[in-house]
Amino acid sequence: MPTPALTPLIELRRAIKHYSLGEGQITALKGIDLTIYPGEFVAIWGPSGSGKSTLCNLIGLLDTPSSGTVRFNGQDAAALSDDQRSEARNRSIGFIFQGFNLIPVLSAVENVMLPLQIGHPSSRLSKEAAIKRLTEVGLASHIDHRPTKLSGGQQQRVAIARALIASPALVVADEPTANLDSENALKVIDLMRKISKKEGTTFVFSTHDERLLDRVDRQIMMRDGEAVEDRKTTLKSGKMAGVSL
Amino acid sequence: MTWINLAVRNLFRNGRRSLFTIAAIALGFLAVNALGGFTAYIFSSLKDSYIYAEANGHLTIFKEGFLDKGKLDPTLYLLSEQELGTIKEILSHYPEVVIATPQLQISGLLSNGHVSTIFVASGRVPSDMQTISRQAGGAMGKIKLYDGKPLTNDAVYGIGVSHGLAKQLNLKLGSSAVAMAPTVSGQINALDAQLLQFIDAPIEALEDKLATVPLQFAQNLYDTKNVDRLTVLLKNNDQTYAIRERLASEFAAADLKLEIKTWNELSPFYTKVKKMFNVIFLITFLIVFTIVVMSVVNTVTMAVMERTREIGTLRALGMKRTGIVALFSLESMALGSFGSLLGVALTLLLVNMIELLRPTWIPPQITREVPLQIHMVSEYWLYSVLLLLLLSLLSAILPARKAARMEITNALGYA
Repeated sequence: MPTPALTPLIELRRAIKHYSLGEGQITALKGIDLTIYPGEFVAIWGPSGSGKSTLCNLIGLLDTPSSGTVRFNGQDAAALSDDQRSEARNRSIGFIFQGFNLIPVLSAVENVMLPLQIGHPSSRLSKEAAIKRLTEVGLASHIDHRPTKLSGGQQQRVAIARALIASPALVVADEPTANLDSENALKVIDLMRKISKKEGTTFVFSTHDERLLDRVDRQIMMRDGEAVEDRKTTLKSGKMAGVSL
Repeated sequence: MTWINLAVRNLFRNGRRSLFTIAAIALGFLAVNALGGFTAYIFSSLKDSYIYAEANGHLTIFKEGFLDKGKLDPTLYLLSEQELGTIKEILSHYPEVVIATPQLQISGLLSNGHVSTIFVASGRVPSDMQTISRQAGGAMGKIKLYDGKPLTNDAVYGIGVSHGLAKQLNLKLGSSAVAMAPTVSGQINALDAQLLQFIDAPIEALEDKLATVPLQFAQNLYDTKNVDRLTVLLKNNDQTYAIRERLASEFAAADLKLEIKTWNELSPFYTKVKKMFNVIFLITFLIVFTIVVMSVVNTVTMAVMERTREIGTLRALGMKRTGIVALFSLESMALGSFGSLLGVALTLLLVNMIELLRPTWIPPQITREVPLQIHMVSEYWLYSVLLLLLLSLLSAILPARKAARMEITNALGYA
């Protein structure tokens, strides 16, 4: 388990999120207080509709709270303009999605290059970095494959490489294993954990699969928009699936 | 990978839809430029026909007031030999002037010995008319607007009459006729004439009245050495207005009371045809404009709908709203570029097909078949490409802005 640094990476204080639904309103998050430190490997778990994805969205600066504050690296997300939040996501946050969300017309390496290209570095440097990341996730021989030519597990590994290309401080993954079989799900989580330990990257992922929880440092259980449990865990030996870095 | 590369690849995700849009843009280009090229051909043909084939030149010099009151008192408004000499002396200093030739327009009665009918004729110097016709660049300027023998300076009494006039008087080529008219001093005069040619009347109203005669014939009939106008042919049509300005100043300085008309001022038919084609062109352009805009808007709107989750992903990865607008705008510009390229190819194909097949037609004001052409007007082509690109870009702005304004979380959750 990492030793928390003194400066938090993410801080949520009384974060509330309402959504309009027709003429009514539903409250997805009911005043969350949460602090995540650099290097933590955190699972947010709970049943469907418990607010996991909404919490991931706030942590990843994809959304802002209806009230309360979300701070990323000490900066209040609500004080940032849309462009500033875009820049912060591009520089400091990687995303892994349940449906992989790869661009179908781009090859694996081009998908991985995307975050760097959005930030405007040269194509050559982006490509070199992307090939390096794809090699790390075991897809060196698939760099020119389009997503449709890759299996679900391979696509998610491309997505992981894409999330890591800019060496972000934080990776947010919303149900990254939901579309994978059990074996691939464990491999993906173990791959994420290895990278987190190797590079000190903070990982926050949501899941409803309890089998993954003994592979994380910290579990935050959500129910009805509230964090009902925040527990640190110890990784049991022999639980790592066969992944290499 | 470049963003242009991504834009082009995105276009072909729904290849059929993009191809239809590209085809709409290409056909729009073809329609505008085929009509534009045909219009340019019509304008240049009418111009060449008037200036060269009918030998009216670029500028015509009259005595001041002739066009308004010349018929009331011809003697007052004719150019005398002395005035003509002064004008020609001034014109001789203009290297831009190819030829300046006098004319005298007359009217009177033409008789076959049994029947008489009215005629109007322009008296010209036949050799000068041939010189003017030889200067024509295009086919329409060189077209022969008569059947029979050419008029010559030597055959003073050899004339041409319109087909309708010849029919009225039952005149054949080589037939004799008598032309009668009052002289400038009001006496009735008559001259024998020999029919050398049947001429084409530029408008139907003149079909049974028009004749062409040597200048000397017209002067003899009117019993005068004067003329009513001086036709000036320039080397280049573009010089018309500048030379008129300069000549007007010089004539005024020489105390000559003259007025100078340009060829298009004396050819209201040309102006009317031009206005009519401009309206047709505008209507065609508006139709093309609407089709192109609607096609591109439809394509980009559908693309935005189909790729909503992808837009959310790009935004999550840090692409700014302007980046999304730029991406869809690039796709739209790519549509415009491919459409324009295909349009250029189709228009070239059409122009070459016409060149190869050489179809003919009978245009207004000419009674014989002439080759149909579509001119390649480089400015039209350039402006069409630029305009289609601009239209494609503008058409994409609204749907692209809508895409950019989507909430990222909503876009990511879009199924």
